Amino acid sequence: MKKIINEPKDFVDEFVDGILLAHPALLKAIGQDRRVLVRADAPVSGKVGIVTGGGSGHLPLFKGYVGRGLCDGVAIGNVFSSPSSAQILEATKAVDGGAGVLYLYGNYGGDVFNFDLSIDMAELEGIRTRTVLGRDDVASQPKERAADRRGVAGIFFAYKAAGAAAERGDSLDEVAAIAEDIIEHTATMGVGLSPTILPTTGKPSFELADDEMEIGIGIHGEPGIHRGTLETADEIAEHLTERLVTDLGISAGDRVAVLVNGLGATPLEELYLLYRRTHQILEAKGIAIAKNYVGEYATSLEMAGASISILTLTDDRLALLDAPAESPFFREV
Amino acid sequence: MNGHELSIAIQNCLTVFPEYADELGDLDQALGDGDLGITVSLGAQAVIDALLQLPPESKPTEVVLACAKAFANANPSTMAALVAGALLAGSRVWGDAESIDSEMVNKFALAAAESISQRGKSQVGDKTILDAMFPAAEALRETNSGADRLDAAIEAAERGVITSKELQSRRGRASWLQDRSIGLQDPGATAFLRFLQSWKASNTPSRAAVS
Repeated sequence: MKKIINEPKDFVDEFVDGILLAHPALLKAIGQDRRVLVRADAPVSGKVGIVTGGGSGHLPLFKGYVGRGLCDGVAIGNVFSSPSSAQILEATKAVDGGAGVLYLYGNYGGDVFNFDLSIDMAELEGIRTRTVLGRDDVASQPKERAADRRGVAGIFFAYKAAGAAAERGDSLDEVAAIAEDIIEHTATMGVGLSPTILPTTGKPSFELADDEMEIGIGIHGEPGIHRGTLETADEIAEHLTERLVTDLGISAGDRVAVLVNGLGATPLEELYLLYRRTHQILEAKGIAIAKNYVGEYATSLEMAGASISILTLTDDRLALLDAPAESPFFREV
Repeated sequence: MNGHELSIAIQNCLTVFPEYADELGDLDQALGDGDLGITVSLGAQAVIDALLQLPPESKPTEVVLACAKAFANANPSTMAALVAGALLAGSRVWGDAESIDSEMVNKFALAAAESISQRGKSQVGDKTILDAMFPAAEALRETNSGADRLDAAIEAAERGVITSKELQSRRGRASWLQDRSIGLQDPGATAFLRFLQSWKASNTPSRAAVS
């Protein structure tokens, strides 16, 4: 294992510390263990709060999307481990501005368990919550079982839209409905070329031969649909995009937003090769890309690989994506 | 039983309950992280303190909500959150009632067990607190006569504790031990049994500390 780290056990606390030192005007830590970050002006009175959270190792997910026009707070777990229900409750109390709190996070067992426990404790504090789960990874379950899919990079669209809705003063039920609407119209699929190495164990999460790739990989190195021979950038873009277009049922005349996301160790150049072909394919089908994002939005430490997410757009959804937002990792002006 | 009487009964019970903290901590040490003893002793004291602050005219539901909040915050843990959620679920059954009868206690017990089952994604047989709670709730439902009800619940919970000893832990940290958990007594189920026994010991007329 080659990593730029100190003591492996201090990995999470030290990078959280670094983020706080770098962005004191945007973020502040809550609680003694500093595993809860909220926007610097939290709580915003009268505004619906949005709390996310999950394991570490995915930056900019999840803590990177705390800021104006995005989420209000995040509960931070260890690498690939859920935060505790007590940390989630702490985040909830810190961002509640009196209009209720939306829990918006990825569909993973440990996270669901701890967020659900926090619902009850928040209710005891007199804070109403709603929950929407990111579940955009089409490779993790067939369409009939879409409710059981994993949440991956596509949750970014939900953060952006729900965050904009909360910022303009929508009610808790309205913000939850918007997040749900975005998730339902988002599909993501990825490929992995090399494994993730956990700082604490020093071991790769899986083994891949030099000429192999894992198709449909999860952001914790979960196996995908199948393992195949490494393809060209164009072939990968074609396979992923066709699958997403089919899953979403989009066709000529539709408008979409596209997110090409790097998993941690893949250069931007390669991501733009993928974007190029994706753009060509969609254009040839008569599907217009009204908004695009290329870069690292949800990673898996040093995994090489990429994912493509597509969101079917309406005027309302596009307006929410276009609304201003600012966090240490994302800005829309 | 009105809210004030319920509050007194709970305080009596929780004065005795921490006597079992060491036993529960040791059982939890063998199967989990060993914090159940602390959860019980800190939690019991926090609940007593919270109940002393409540006005005497508080409704049963308000008494239970005060307990849930105090217990969840005393020593935040998965167990504390599950218990708080269970009390919340039980209190919903009671609504605005000024006093509670046997039938309402039965419904509370079942709703509380179902809350833990749902939140913890566990069933009877997973070697959790539910192995004592569900049988106790069932025994309450089947026993009509007032004096025997608590005895029946204690007996059922005790059977659950003993039966689940031979099972493999399926949930939480204890599940990491896999078949090594077989033969060990579940701390959660035992805690529920000890709570019922504390209730009986402290609320029989001769031993009641407060009245």
